[in-house]
Amino acid sequence: MTTSDAYEDVWRAAWPHVLAALLRRYGDFEACEDAVQEALLAAARQWPDEGTPDDPKAWLVRVASRRLIDARRSERARAGREDTVAELVEPGPASERDDSLALLLLCCHPALSRPSQVALTLRAVGGLSTDRIARAFLVPEPTMAQRISRAKARLRELDAPFAVPPPAELPARVAAVAHVLYLVFTEGHTATVGAGLVDVSLADEAIRLARRLHELLPSDPEVAGLLALMLLTDARRPARLADDGSLVPLADQDRSQWDRALVAEGVALVEAALPTGPVGPYQLQAAIAAVHDEAPSAAETDWVQIEVLYGMLADLAPGPVVTLNHAVAVAETRGPQAGLAMVEPLLDDPALRRTHRVHAVHAHLLERAGRVDEARAAYTRAARLATSVPEQRYLSARAAGET
Amino acid sequence: MKYVILIHSNPQPWGHPTDRFTEEGRAQSEEFHAASAQQFDALMEEINASGEFVTAMALADPASSTLYGWSPANGGEHLRTDGPYAETKEQLAGFFMIDCATRERAEEIAEHFAQPGGTVELRPAMWGDGDDQ
Repeated sequence: MTTSDAYEDVWRAAWPHVLAALLRRYGDFEACEDAVQEALLAAARQWPDEGTPDDPKAWLVRVASRRLIDARRSERARAGREDTVAELVEPGPASERDDSLALLLLCCHPALSRPSQVALTLRAVGGLSTDRIARAFLVPEPTMAQRISRAKARLRELDAPFAVPPPAELPARVAAVAHVLYLVFTEGHTATVGAGLVDVSLADEAIRLARRLHELLPSDPEVAGLLALMLLTDARRPARLADDGSLVPLADQDRSQWDRALVAEGVALVEAALPTGPVGPYQLQAAIAAVHDEAPSAAETDWVQIEVLYGMLADLAPGPVVTLNHAVAVAETRGPQAGLAMVEPLLDDPALRRTHRVHAVHAHLLERAGRVDEARAAYTRAARLATSVPEQRYLSARAAGET
Repeated sequence: MKYVILIHSNPQPWGHPTDRFTEEGRAQSEEFHAASAQQFDALMEEINASGEFVTAMALADPASSTLYGWSPANGGEHLRTDGPYAETKEQLAGFFMIDCATRERAEEIAEHFAQPGGTVELRPAMWGDGDDQ
């Protein structure tokens, strides 16, 4: 273990708080982040000799503030202006809770595009290096560096305040944070192939940040739902891929490999959230995942309950993807014909027709209805549209009549 | 989702931007080219700012390429010849890689690349390990 590894946990835990403390006082994202970087470098030099300070966060805030103040003084000296004493005071203690929440909300500011929100959140709240974020998303490092610096520049242009917004604006802003964390999670979930190359698990990072958001807003049922959905999906990770890298569909997974502790935690979260407030899409999706995770075998899945939950989700957040999933549940409770009747209109849907999933579901239902030739043709269409290697392999095998 | 936008074109002589060197492109006015260059800059600015732009590269004349084939003779012989790869009129002239939330968005970006003389191809990249449901 190198020195930087040994201190990494401390740094990553401290990073968002230190950055937030500086932002609250000085506002300039770029300059504050540079100062935090410098403080971390100073820590890497000094802590091994002098020992880790009793309060590492306070130490880092103090050092980072001094760096920032020094940088501003020399800028002003160059510009020939007087120091303004008020601006050069070190930030005092503030509620860590408000700081953390304000930082998450700032990174997911509505003026930024989703990819920028995702990148900035991982950088500023997750404390991941630009290089590691770039590797996790398989883009060149300069691309990611530019994405992040553009996002910071945009926040500066807007002069976006570092503060928790008024209660009326809060739900929409929190919903944006939830969506960003969910995107990080799904990207992580679908990028586990070649794990040797990607040393950052985005799924783990998303769960860590969702836990943090849930700690900050324990009474928000959708935040609890989001965390539950992630845990209940992640619980199946050990069983998702076969030894040869091929994808194992949910029905064929070895359920003894599922992480029971994660399932229990996810179930408890969603059961606590559902009765408390307005039911939202994350809670419903978590409830559906919980029904799957609690079934002792695929055959014993409570499809009636899943169908009811998808019906509620379709009312709350209608869309072709929800209809498609609802159709799968309907096929289980009322037979493949009923499912096919829901799927067929979706085959021409502009958002779905070029994705493999609608054709894969269509193929599966045709197969169950005994329409073998049509099923194979649909599996072939699905395989052609698949953009993941394991999925394409699986669908091609079905198209060839192998299982 | 990552996509590549492939620019297939036949500039004579080989050159970039390709639409300045195709027969159809040369038939257009200077105002047309100035306006499309401006629109292109605006698009690049937009996808840079949104973080959707990943990378891009213009390619040199296909006549300058070297091709490596494989033959079963002598336990897998490597065959080396000079380019171009294909005797077709249009050649791969360059590519852009973008990273978009949806296919619709990728299509919206790709259609801006259409130009006189040439064909633009939008193709999804293979990615990740998919969904288990």
